[in-house]
Amino acid sequence: MISNSLFKYLLIIFVTALIMISGNSLPKWKIAQPDYQWSFPKDHWSHPKYKTEWWYFTGHLQSQKKPHRRFGYQFTFFRIGILNQTESQKSLWATKNLIMGHAAISDLQTKQHFFSEILYREIPLLGKFGLYPNPVIAWSQGPAGTDQKWTLSWNGKAFDFQVKDSRLGIGFELSTRPLKKLIFQGPNGYSLKGHTPSASSQYYSFTRLATKGKLTLKNQIFLVEGESWMDKEFGSNQLAKNQIGWDWFSLQLNDGSELMLYLLREHSGKIDFSRGTWISKLGTTRYLKPGEWTLEVQSNWHSSKSESLYPFGWIIHLPSENLKMEIVPELADQENRSHLLQNLNYWEGAVSIQNQRGEKLGRGYVELTGYGKDNRPPI
Amino acid sequence: MSRVITYSLKTFLSHFQRARSLFFLTAFGVALGVASVLAIQIINLNAIGAFSAGIQAISGKADLSVVGQTSTFSEELYPLVLATKGVSAAWPLYRVDVALVGHDRFILEIIGADLFSPGHLPWDSSSKEFSGALYEKGWTAVTPDLAKQMGWSIGSSISVTSGTRRAELKIGALIDFKKISPLSSSKLAVMDISQAQALLGKSGQIHQIDIRTQPEFNLRQIIQSLQEKLGPSTQILTLQQREDQAAGLMSAFRLNLTALSFISLFVGFFLVYTSSQASLLRRRKEFGLLRSIGATRLQILTLILVEVIVLGLVGVIMGLPLGYWIAEANIEMISSTLTNVYLLEEIESLNFPFWLYILATTIGIGGAIAGSLLPALDMSRQQPQSLLNHFTLHERVNTLALPTFVAGSTFLLIIFLWFWFWGNTWKPSGFVLAVAILVSLPLLTPLVVQQFCQRGQIRTFGLGYGFKSLGARLQRCSFSVACLAIAVSMLIGLTLMISSFRRTVEIWVESSVAADVYITTESWQSKSEAILDSKTISLLTKTPGIVGVDQLRKMKVSFQNNPISLSGVNMSLFRKGSFPLLEGNREQIFNKVIGQNAVLISEPLSRKAALSVGDQLVVYGATGRVELPIAGIYYDYSSETGTAALDLSTMENNFGPGEINGISLYLDQNIDSEEMVKELKSRFIDHPLRIRSNRQLRKDIFKVFDQTFAVVRILQIISLLIAVCGITLTLLILAREQVAELALYRALGASRKQIFRIFFGQGLAMGLMGLGLGLAGGILLALILVFVINPSYFGWTIQLHWSNLSLAQQMATILISALLASLYPALRASQTPAAELSHDDF
Repeated sequence: MISNSLFKYLLIIFVTALIMISGNSLPKWKIAQPDYQWSFPKDHWSHPKYKTEWWYFTGHLQSQKKPHRRFGYQFTFFRIGILNQTESQKSLWATKNLIMGHAAISDLQTKQHFFSEILYREIPLLGKFGLYPNPVIAWSQGPAGTDQKWTLSWNGKAFDFQVKDSRLGIGFELSTRPLKKLIFQGPNGYSLKGHTPSASSQYYSFTRLATKGKLTLKNQIFLVEGESWMDKEFGSNQLAKNQIGWDWFSLQLNDGSELMLYLLREHSGKIDFSRGTWISKLGTTRYLKPGEWTLEVQSNWHSSKSESLYPFGWIIHLPSENLKMEIVPELADQENRSHLLQNLNYWEGAVSIQNQRGEKLGRGYVELTGYGKDNRPPI
Repeated sequence: MSRVITYSLKTFLSHFQRARSLFFLTAFGVALGVASVLAIQIINLNAIGAFSAGIQAISGKADLSVVGQTSTFSEELYPLVLATKGVSAAWPLYRVDVALVGHDRFILEIIGADLFSPGHLPWDSSSKEFSGALYEKGWTAVTPDLAKQMGWSIGSSISVTSGTRRAELKIGALIDFKKISPLSSSKLAVMDISQAQALLGKSGQIHQIDIRTQPEFNLRQIIQSLQEKLGPSTQILTLQQREDQAAGLMSAFRLNLTALSFISLFVGFFLVYTSSQASLLRRRKEFGLLRSIGATRLQILTLILVEVIVLGLVGVIMGLPLGYWIAEANIEMISSTLTNVYLLEEIESLNFPFWLYILATTIGIGGAIAGSLLPALDMSRQQPQSLLNHFTLHERVNTLALPTFVAGSTFLLIIFLWFWFWGNTWKPSGFVLAVAILVSLPLLTPLVVQQFCQRGQIRTFGLGYGFKSLGARLQRCSFSVACLAIAVSMLIGLTLMISSFRRTVEIWVESSVAADVYITTESWQSKSEAILDSKTISLLTKTPGIVGVDQLRKMKVSFQNNPISLSGVNMSLFRKGSFPLLEGNREQIFNKVIGQNAVLISEPLSRKAALSVGDQLVVYGATGRVELPIAGIYYDYSSETGTAALDLSTMENNFGPGEINGISLYLDQNIDSEEMVKELKSRFIDHPLRIRSNRQLRKDIFKVFDQTFAVVRILQIISLLIAVCGITLTLLILAREQVAELALYRALGASRKQIFRIFFGQGLAMGLMGLGLGLAGGILLALILVFVINPSYFGWTIQLHWSNLSLAQQMATILISALLASLYPALRASQTPAAELSHDDF
């Protein structure tokens, strides 16, 4: 499943804009290039020359002990570049980045959704993006009232991460292992987000990560295992003025293949730009352009808390793979509502995939942004 | 009852027309009493209000604040706060005072905040103007009021200094703190914490962490957890506790001002009493007639009280603006006391809440009713026949003069005996003594007046006759004399106290301010921590002609949960001078202070904390608990909250190394200090230094002193004014009562001049008697203020000093006031033809 790339991308810019780093007088940030020279594992670490960057994990987990409990989860670290210059100030509070973290758990049995977040300056006191080859890719102070840090580190093959929010009584400590190799989203990891070449990012994914660890829900600890999707994206560009939000799909099919789709919408609801990637069970990729698939919304869900009206349930038709699938949200309220940033509400939820006969084809995650009033990132 | 009220209101106008002067004088007296209490309440309220407003403007969204035992604490504690259970949000603050270059002592308080900590700060930092907060060097948000005052706009550049550091700031945005808290200072400014630390302060340290807590957690538990995590270098306080701490610091100051303001009200009470009685006496026959035709006692009482309420209301209406004006006129001076003596926020604007209107109305009407209640009750109790007969009040008072004198003397004696044997350990006992004096003065007055007036021999029909005739009108003049005596007591008592205090401070300054030149930085205030850097110190001290240099390191520590100031100096320089000690062998004491880690504590600290030589001073600094043996106690009048002095090496050993805040220079005998100041100012013209000669520093000290007592002087004047109104009022009443007598004198050939002299003599007599009684009361009051109230509330020893000149000036002022007060009634009495004196138009 894919990276909420777009979402994250815009979200970050949104945050950046929200805190009013308009950047008129700032040196220019590096922009994504089609011929970017990738270097792994180093590229798993941060790229401070780019304005925004994120590490995005979503997945489905199941408790090891019977009766099995099923969970969906999301974990993201965002790097929000503020300064692209190296001016040394005699203060530890001087920073070039903000670090933002989002974590959510969907309890698919009780149909409850929990969301936690952090937002700090990237300073030694509160959080840092690590330097290769130190295994810590990023860490931050936990949410206020929580005595454990949020961390993301490289375990040699994939990623380990831990999150805790004492106030909500949630958290997870998960370790991942790649079941399929890393793939690029777009040719050489160059992912277009608009009609101009500069509206783009460097983007890659681990579409299937075996995941194991502990998950805490309402202070009850579960030993869990399952599969995750990881997106990594960095870039420096902004959403076009005519775009209001996006829908993003990361779908893992039971046959071992995956599909990533994103659609950027205009104010009118019309799709302005969209792309996709089909990943075969062997890990080969095929980049999809509009017209190669269709997407039909089934119904809507209204969030009484944010007053947003989201699409709810889709039918995706991918003729080239002879695939027609119904995307069904596992539960309705999987809306992430930020307390740290006003008007930052988005739907990020676990979904199941089935065919028209109701046979289960797989599972995935969907992200929907820009649906509420004033929820459009002011970018 | 409603008929009585209607009758009262209908007849009010005709009574008013017949006695306008009397009415207005009384109402003016009420107004002055109301104004004095109101002004002090406004000042007291706003003194605390300014501090509270500062807290609300900056920490309005917080439930708790972490503050350092010293000014700052390590910023590494911040993540520990964030990680504490029950904390919902926490954000750090760095605070620094800066001086605006090119303006004389214009201090801005910069709040360094984490402007990227969304949603916690009380102000909205999401506007576009905040875009440069992090990356535009010197980005600062100021208040719209300040921007308007200084002619700044967004993009303007300003130069500021913090200690010897200079920084260029750029106005990046406007924040209207008044929207958050109307009384907040316009001199607040906001920067990002990184810039505040880097440009103006020091890294690694913060002043405050504001905390919002999770409502489901118990606040006490959170405080306890924080205390355990953060250790002894910080205090965790609620906003209310921070406000209470400030209120506690100046409670004695506020209490004393309030007490003084009530003296004015007390004087006003006598004025109302005198006036009411005169008015009621004039209307005896009217009341007698009303009673004869069926009016009840309650109806008569209601009739009188309705009129008194109208009088009180007029007094309130006049007193409200007057009180506000007095408060407003004194803001600046009170502000100066707050910032210099109590290290609190200055007052910039006045808040006048609704309850103050209620207070003023209650005081005015309540005071008027209280003043007239006795005569009103007396009048309502009389039988109709008695009311219609000739009244023999004067004779009655004549017979009561001795018993009231005995009662007053006995009361005074009992109170003093109580104080001597039992009460002197009770803190408010000084106020009991003062009240006893003020209450007994009116009781002593009738006999004094009687004896004084009866002893004179009448040689002329003029002054002497007026003098003598006063004794025959004892009832009327006794209250005026008592009224004057109370005002004079207050005047003399406070004058003696202030002059004694001033003289004591003079002596203290003489021994404490011994260096020739004092140097601090422009941004240094008593409450700030502006640093004089070592490079500048080195340059300064290389100036030819300097033979000695002392350095001052000031730091705030916590003592019994309140901040006190420690002064680190080179104690070896003070073996022979400065730090005047209360007792003990100076050499032995200084041996301990220099070699044995001991401290000197100030007298207020010693008194308030009951600390003596040999005890341990236990304070909390950045490193936690520190115990310092007390070697001696020194006189100090710079701080009411208390201070301690120690050797610089002792300070460093116990609290770690720190920066110097000021230096003092000792010059070669042949060099004039004023010349040296001029030279240093020209040499260091580019340095933000405040260079003062010994003489200038002393001048500044006394400026603060005089500002502190300015409001007291206004209260003195108000009391005197009320008393003067009393004399005028009494003489007007006497003139009315003596209509027939004066008409007879005129018919027998008495000239207008002679009549004038009679009244002038009566005014003079009242002035002299008021002065005599007031002088006695004032001296007693001064003794109580100097030896009882001051030590127990402020902790200062004041050497009693008789300032003959000021006393003579005061007495002359009082006498002249009394004579001036008698001019109008005397003129009225003398210039009106005898036949018209029967009119009631006073």
